[in-house]
Amino acid sequence: MGAPGQVAKFTQIQVKGTDTSRETHKTLTLFSILRAMAKKAKKSPARSRRQPNRKKRSSGQQRRWFSWSFVGKAALVCLVLGAAGLAYLDALVRERFDAHVWQLPARVYARPVELYEGRVLSREDMLKLLDLMRYRRDSRAATPGSYAVQGNSLLLHTRGFNDSDGGEKAERIRLSLSGGQIRSLEAGGDRLARLEPLQIGSIHPQHAEDRVLVPLDKVPPLLVEMLIATEDQAFYDHHGISLRGLARAMLANIKAGRLVQGGSTLTQQLVKNFWLTSERTLSRKLLEMPMAMLLELHYSKEQILEAYLNEVYLGQDGARAIHGMGLGAQFLFGRPLEELEPHHLATLVALLKGPSWYDPRRHPERSLERRNTVLKVALNEGALSKADYDKYSNRSLEVVPRGASALYAFPAFIDLVRRQLARDYPPEVLSDEGLRIHSTLDVLAQLAAEGALRDHLDRRDPDESKKLNGAVVVVAPAQGDVLALVSNRSSREAGFNRALDAQRPIGSLAKPAVVLSAVSQPKQWSLATLVEDGPVEVTLPNGATWSPQNFDNQSRGAMPVVDVLTYSRNQGTARLGLDVGLDKVAGTMNTLGVTRNIPLYPSILLGSLELTPFEVAMMYQPLSTGGFSTRLRSITDVLDKEAKPLARYPVNTDEVVDAGPAFLTQWAMQQVVEKGTGRAARASLPQDLKVAGKTGTSNDFRDAWFAGFSANHLAVVWVGRDDNRNAGITGSSGALPVWAQLMGKLPQRSLSQTPPAGVEWVWMNPDGKRVSAEGCGDARRYPMLEASIPQDSDGCGSVKEAGKGIKGWFKGLFD
Amino acid sequence: MLIIQRLVQLMLISMVLAGCAVRPPVEEPAEPMTASQELEGSPALGLLSRAEQARQQGQTSAAERYLERALNIAPDSSWLYKELAGLRLSEGDPRGAEGFALKALRLAPDHDDYRAGLWDLVATARDRQGDKSGARQARSKAAALRNPKARPV
Repeated sequence: MGAPGQVAKFTQIQVKGTDTSRETHKTLTLFSILRAMAKKAKKSPARSRRQPNRKKRSSGQQRRWFSWSFVGKAALVCLVLGAAGLAYLDALVRERFDAHVWQLPARVYARPVELYEGRVLSREDMLKLLDLMRYRRDSRAATPGSYAVQGNSLLLHTRGFNDSDGGEKAERIRLSLSGGQIRSLEAGGDRLARLEPLQIGSIHPQHAEDRVLVPLDKVPPLLVEMLIATEDQAFYDHHGISLRGLARAMLANIKAGRLVQGGSTLTQQLVKNFWLTSERTLSRKLLEMPMAMLLELHYSKEQILEAYLNEVYLGQDGARAIHGMGLGAQFLFGRPLEELEPHHLATLVALLKGPSWYDPRRHPERSLERRNTVLKVALNEGALSKADYDKYSNRSLEVVPRGASALYAFPAFIDLVRRQLARDYPPEVLSDEGLRIHSTLDVLAQLAAEGALRDHLDRRDPDESKKLNGAVVVVAPAQGDVLALVSNRSSREAGFNRALDAQRPIGSLAKPAVVLSAVSQPKQWSLATLVEDGPVEVTLPNGATWSPQNFDNQSRGAMPVVDVLTYSRNQGTARLGLDVGLDKVAGTMNTLGVTRNIPLYPSILLGSLELTPFEVAMMYQPLSTGGFSTRLRSITDVLDKEAKPLARYPVNTDEVVDAGPAFLTQWAMQQVVEKGTGRAARASLPQDLKVAGKTGTSNDFRDAWFAGFSANHLAVVWVGRDDNRNAGITGSSGALPVWAQLMGKLPQRSLSQTPPAGVEWVWMNPDGKRVSAEGCGDARRYPMLEASIPQDSDGCGSVKEAGKGIKGWFKGLFD
Repeated sequence: MLIIQRLVQLMLISMVLAGCAVRPPVEEPAEPMTASQELEGSPALGLLSRAEQARQQGQTSAAERYLERALNIAPDSSWLYKELAGLRLSEGDPRGAEGFALKALRLAPDHDDYRAGLWDLVATARDRQGDKSGARQARSKAAALRNPKARPV
């Protein structure tokens, strides 16, 4: 037995892929074997006697069935069997305890919130984050996980955490927020701080056991004192069983006429939790006692206590069993165990007597009464002062409402993480080894996306009679980080993941690929080149005729390429796409990241191709970065249960589209929001913010899309019906408002207006074939690839030929 | 005569403009490019120096994490992408290095020596992927930037 005060090292505890129910099963099997052996021990000697008996009987001799030698032999057999059984139990106890077969599901965390001077963050959002992370408001922010509001500034005491870059220590920082920004930040070293990543879920593939391991030295001493005072006062003195406790329990049982009290020591309770089922049978009791004694023989009180605190069953959250004080703290109070106050700890101890009977959410009065009993016992045992007792027994339960926590609040995103992890880790590793998954989720972006979809659908379809639903994907395009994923207007409901699995025709979202294909051949096309928006007829191989109509059923005649996109002209796009070549357009889509096979039908020009919202985000990602393709990721780092880095999911980026054509396409997509089908979004966005995007509507108004981006956020919105019926919506009316509200809520940076090398701003004559000058008739200014700037001028204006370079440079000054 | 007059005019104009321009095109930068030119006053600078430290201690994944965080703060920093490219090259990932170097070039300020260095990085990364002709192209771009008059035909 270890010396008191010795702290069990957590590193000794190895997590193995064993499953408790199987373990229990094994035990029961063992028990039945023992019973069978015992029966055999009774029978077989008898049988072995009987046979000679028969012989002797046949010889006519009568013999007594009882003989002393038989008793001796039987006793010996029993002794051997008993010893063997004990040895087996011993091995079982040690095997299970040494391996500490706790299943630790992989935990998923949001991205840590980065705080620095100049960061766009409103006071409201900051407080929202602190609330989600369950920071306590107190006057001095004395302990980690608390904050104080002092005039214009916040005093924050952060919680420490580990990360692949070493993580952060808990520290006190002061930050002042005004005008929607962090104005100043005083931290330990530099002007940079991070809040710990918020846990947003855990991954348990099959049956659910969940746990937050807390080493004994992190357990509040008061919790241990309360536990011992209420459950097992003789814990430090007994050897696994307490005869006094047992006697008391038996008395109670006799009084009640049935088993009402266990009289179990903590060690016995641990044995029960670890190895045995919870049936209250005598046989269990008989097995429990030797096992408890064996446990005490091999392990220190501290080790047993630590195991108990992490193993004990505290209740049920749907399919998820709540084991251990660490998870209990999170489940009931939304905070780490270390941060709980005495009355919280007492509530946890109160649960031990009956997790569902004293469930503080379902039976608050009962729970409160039992909690106060625990506080009273703590007072009587000297663990709590009178003042503290008076103070805390008057506090309410303070249990956080179920569902208010960020945990399990984002099922669609967790689903994405799970799918990405499943490619790299076998299920048992994910369910057992306590991996810490640092994800890319941005809580504020996620909440904004959920809110935008919900608000819009509540307006369009308040009673859900139209059965509208939708999905949103938000990405930080440069690093490919998926910041938010919504797949249901009721975002907390798991189920069909529309963002990842709803495969729908993308409609006009295909059009930027047509434009990009065109301007990638600068000798033939620029954004100023005229295209005929008029009837198009293509005879298909099957003899049918493809003749697309415009949304307004009109043809507008010749218009520049940019206007075809801006006003989403179907006939103009079809004409342009057919001239450019279906193979080229399909190739462009592949280059942009569409991995599906694209059939070379003319209808792909207008978006007959079916993609999921997530795939659309992949396709638009290179458009948003000026031609750099980055794989979308939902995970940045994987750490083991000791928070040591195991693996990184690094950013990779490839230049897939040249700077020039990418800039032109992006500029054309900006016109969509400036004056085209996306202009309604302007009202929700800052005046000078440059964003780009494209509306999409599929045939018969089944699907409404909007995909668009600023320099730092790309968001794709889909709205439609699961049964793929007419939803009566267009990209502008059905999806754009969601996008606009969402983008308006997030800090945005403008798309760059500085053309890359090889692109110049040129005033073009409306014929698209001659350069012109500012103020000349209907001349318009375009970004032009050098190769497509015509030699001919319409002769209007004066400073064009010689002044082109300098003029461009002048422009550069003011843009 | 007329030509000289024109030239003088042009020089005067450009001098005046150089005085008031926010970002005049730099012909012959005297100073070599440094991180602080892009990141002065940004908290990203602190993360960059932590990344450098981690890299010197052989903790490449920590270095990478620092750089990714720095990019979240200063997303348009060419220098940070250059650092990522160098890190990838030293980790034996030339493909990743090339992508980041090209991205660094896209964001690079008008600084010939700095850009030439990035093209060198691209060249090395392409070499290591076995892309000989791509590497040659990158080298000639670097050479052209270092010596604008000897632009290869």
